[in-house]
Amino acid sequence: MQRGKGMRFVGDSRISADKTSQVPKDYSEYPGRTEAFWPNFLLKEWLVGAVFLVGFLTATVVAPPPLEGIADPTAAGYIPLPDWYFLFLYQLLKYQFASGDYVLIGILVIPGLAFGALFLAPFLDNGPGRRPPQRPIAVSMMLLALIATIWLTYESAAAVDWEARKEMNKPIPPGETVEIDTSHPGYAHYEANCLACHGESMEGTAAGPTLIGIEYSAEEIADIAVNGTGNMPPGLFTGSDEELEELVDFILSVNEGGE
Amino acid sequence: MAAGLLAPMIRFAIDPVLQSQEKSGDLVNVNLSVDDITDTPQRVDWEVQQVDGWYESNINRTAWVYKDENGEIVALSPICTHLGCFVSWEGSEDYPNEFYCPCHDGRYYKDGTNVPGTPPLRPLDVYEHAVENGMLYLGEPKPREGA
Amino acid sequence: MIQKIYDWIDDRVDITPIWRDIADHEVPEHVNPAYHFSAFVYCFGGLTFFVVVIQVLSGMFLTMYYVPDIENAWRSVYYLQTQVAHGQIVRGMHHWGASVVIVMLLLHTLRVFFQGAYKKPRELNWMIGVLLFFVMLGLGFTGYLLPWDNKAYFATQVGLQIAEQVPFIGEHLLTLLAGDPNIVGAQTLTRFFAIHVFFLPAALFALLAVHFILIRRQGISGPL
Repeated sequence: MQRGKGMRFVGDSRISADKTSQVPKDYSEYPGRTEAFWPNFLLKEWLVGAVFLVGFLTATVVAPPPLEGIADPTAAGYIPLPDWYFLFLYQLLKYQFASGDYVLIGILVIPGLAFGALFLAPFLDNGPGRRPPQRPIAVSMMLLALIATIWLTYESAAAVDWEARKEMNKPIPPGETVEIDTSHPGYAHYEANCLACHGESMEGTAAGPTLIGIEYSAEEIADIAVNGTGNMPPGLFTGSDEELEELVDFILSVNEGGE
Repeated sequence: MAAGLLAPMIRFAIDPVLQSQEKSGDLVNVNLSVDDITDTPQRVDWEVQQVDGWYESNINRTAWVYKDENGEIVALSPICTHLGCFVSWEGSEDYPNEFYCPCHDGRYYKDGTNVPGTPPLRPLDVYEHAVENGMLYLGEPKPREGA
Repeated sequence: MIQKIYDWIDDRVDITPIWRDIADHEVPEHVNPAYHFSAFVYCFGGLTFFVVVIQVLSGMFLTMYYVPDIENAWRSVYYLQTQVAHGQIVRGMHHWGASVVIVMLLLHTLRVFFQGAYKKPRELNWMIGVLLFFVMLGLGFTGYLLPWDNKAYFATQVGLQIAEQVPFIGEHLLTLLAGDPNIVGAQTLTRFFAIHVFFLPAALFALLAVHFILIRRQGISGPL
């Protein structure tokens, strides 16, 4: 194969045009119908990419990226959770054999072995055969690791109440301060029954979400105050029906003011 | 494909250009009684709230305020129309009764009109103003046509 | 006209071999989904690269608004997501792309593994691929601290505590990553930003280049 235009540079250090050992293999030695990469195959790749992109963009439009409230190092009640692709490691550290005195097993030995084996796979599995049945150990180890990872991820994810998490960690828009009318008759009831968990100005704390910007009707708020919801136990409100009405009225009034 | 990929990103990037440029014309009380305004320009400082993307802050503003021959209040921006230096009333002893910019010897007459032959190309901007309860309120600086 | 420009450049820098290396080769039948639909498994590597390109582009655009500072990081992200046109889409591309790239990478790795494609002579390329996987996980880990929301803060704290438990070097490792032995804060954020935006992408590009060069040199693995 003649490459280039045959010119020579001063101090030419390139592989000479006559040397053939560095020339990539000719694909015609593979059986069957080959196809030129440029432009035929690239066009097909482009089509696949375009279809993929449409799907991906649709997904991004449909599902806005999550953003939780601004980091608050004092939020003691917050349960940290990594992204899904680290969940298996996170879950691993929950088990007794991988935590406490054995934490090194959890953070170094198991992941080290797994990723080390992955890294060195070509040397551990160095037989000539490429088909899975020809190398049962490597394939079964991989399947085992894969199943373990999926199972750990599932175990971890299943233990989380995603809806409640999302609800609790909604971002509060900056600068959106709500005037709290402390002279409202309902405020005294708020102070007595709700303030401890929902914060002095209803901004929410680690124990309870903010009450600003909620979209409940009066009946729903009254129901939640008495019967609880999510992590909120029932029976927290201890006043009379009349007081309940005033409380609901107060919460609603704050939310109207915040609009 | 590249277009589908880049369109949202480019729209995202050029968003500041397409944001409507209209500034809130809110007039702010500058704590100066109208009675205290003389025919000599005096320096007035006040604060306005500035929203810069996600960053909100109070910035200082300054104006030169005086009453012209007709008794009309004039509030001139101290920003030199040449390259943005700070212009002072009688800032140079060589040029009495003029605004003077120390950077490139730019000069303006008392009404803010630039002195021909000096670097500035147009008069000083004029603040929108209003008087309420005897106090002076100032708004946004508005540019004027060149002399 | 284009031919003339091409010839002018070719006369001076001999680009024809480069062009051949990049584009002028045949694609064998067994990897071509047009002939065997099951060959779509060969697409995952390419799609991974495609998502990486999306990540790089959207990341570049996101830094137009983002500031790595604990006071303003969250506010800038909130601003770009709620106030800037298409901000939600661009951040969405970067956010979901991070997950998609891990999925694609996993599928690509599994394809190579179960086909035994890492066997001689392709051992080196497999190892580079695993390193790429680590770099990608590192990008994910450093990336989700950047919005400085509660999830970011606490997940990073957990990650750093894990690093601290490494024997002997644990505390130094923690200080190196967090910038301070006790605080996860301003210094941590700038460090993670630098790692996420400069160090790891540099490693990623270098490894990707070697990955691709090796593919072109060794060709795609033959049919099973």
